[in-house]
Amino acid sequence: MAMSLGFVVGILGVVILSHAAYSTVQYRGLLKIMEEEFSGPPLTVVAELLLGLGFCMWAALTVPGTFLSIHPYSEENRIVSLPDNLDFMIFNHRARVFPVELDLNFKH
Amino acid sequence: MVSKTEETQLNRLENQVDNGGGGAWEYLCLVRKLKVRRSEKVLKYGLSILNDLKKRSSLGSEEWTLYEQVAIAAMDCQSLDVAKDCIRLLRKAFPESKRVGRLEAMLLEAKGSWAEAEKAYSSFLEENPLDQVIHKRRVAMAKAQGNISGAIEWLNKYLEIFMADHDAWRELAEIYVSLQMYKQAVFCYEELILSQPTVPLHHLAYADVLYTLGGLENLQTAKKYYASVIDLTGGKNTRALFGINLCTSAIGQLAKGRNKEDKESLELQSLAATALEKDYKQRAPEKLSLLTTALKSLKVSS
Repeated sequence: MAMSLGFVVGILGVVILSHAAYSTVQYRGLLKIMEEEFSGPPLTVVAELLLGLGFCMWAALTVPGTFLSIHPYSEENRIVSLPDNLDFMIFNHRARVFPVELDLNFKH
Repeated sequence: MVSKTEETQLNRLENQVDNGGGGAWEYLCLVRKLKVRRSEKVLKYGLSILNDLKKRSSLGSEEWTLYEQVAIAAMDCQSLDVAKDCIRLLRKAFPESKRVGRLEAMLLEAKGSWAEAEKAYSSFLEENPLDQVIHKRRVAMAKAQGNISGAIEWLNKYLEIFMADHDAWRELAEIYVSLQMYKQAVFCYEELILSQPTVPLHHLAYADVLYTLGGLENLQTAKKYYASVIDLTGGKNTRALFGINLCTSAIGQLAKGRNKEDKESLELQSLAATALEKDYKQRAPEKLSLLTTALKSLKVSS
């Protein structure tokens, strides 16, 4: 229930923002016809922008649900060992002289 | 990076496969993902999958990755015939592949024919001078032949081009430490800490090398880095706790005449000592008396 309300509010916020953008473009066109300077969008558009901002922010915080905290040193995330550098692996180690006696045959 | 959960999972799978339960394929996938070096087990269980026609066909297109993994494990266990067969099959399946060519050159390395392997690697590098893995294999070959200074030279040239490769920095640091060139090792560890600041093991290695270098400034920096390891691991790293005790007593010995920041460092040392004693009481109570005598001797000398 809360998810869908958040979604609806979010979509409403996006629609408000796009409407504000459209009206700003129209206002600018009108100013071009009247040959005046474009100092800033009219006050109604600014109010609309702030409203859209508030809606979108509220939706962005409500929709994903509760945030989980990050435990850098919890028992699961604790880094136990660094990866063995397999790119630099050399085969010139003790097991070369004492090979493991495995009776392995490749049957193909 | 192998985390604790991944390590327990790996051990559990290993026990399961060792005792005859299934799950060999998952074990092999986990080993490949975590990049650990378990060549005997990989060879044994990989071959058991590959020799069984049913299991092999159930893998589908992933059987070639398994062939590669088993070939490398076979080279590590010195079963060169197995490796040769695997590579031959891979070559039949992928005739123009550079990856297979690399495996063939690794096989030459494992056999000990260094000159031919060097020729193969140079020809690969002529076609593609920016192949990272071939550069690293060349360094590994120099190291295997005992030519450590050549390895350092190649590795430095590699790092000039690919500065972000932290495996290479770590390898260089370890080579420097093995040659006791600690100042250069300190530089490499600093690069590692810069690129991966949240991995406590780099901080620990850096602090170890600084403590080995000695000198008042290095000891103080080492103490700071041991403290950051304790911070990052939530106090669970025994080596860092010992490090703080040793650093504080060494600093106290060096700076006997000057009395700056005495109270803070003593408090830190006593906290670290109590944490160590608690840890030992929990995990190894019979060694607790050894620990208390060692800590007492450190405190007396400071």
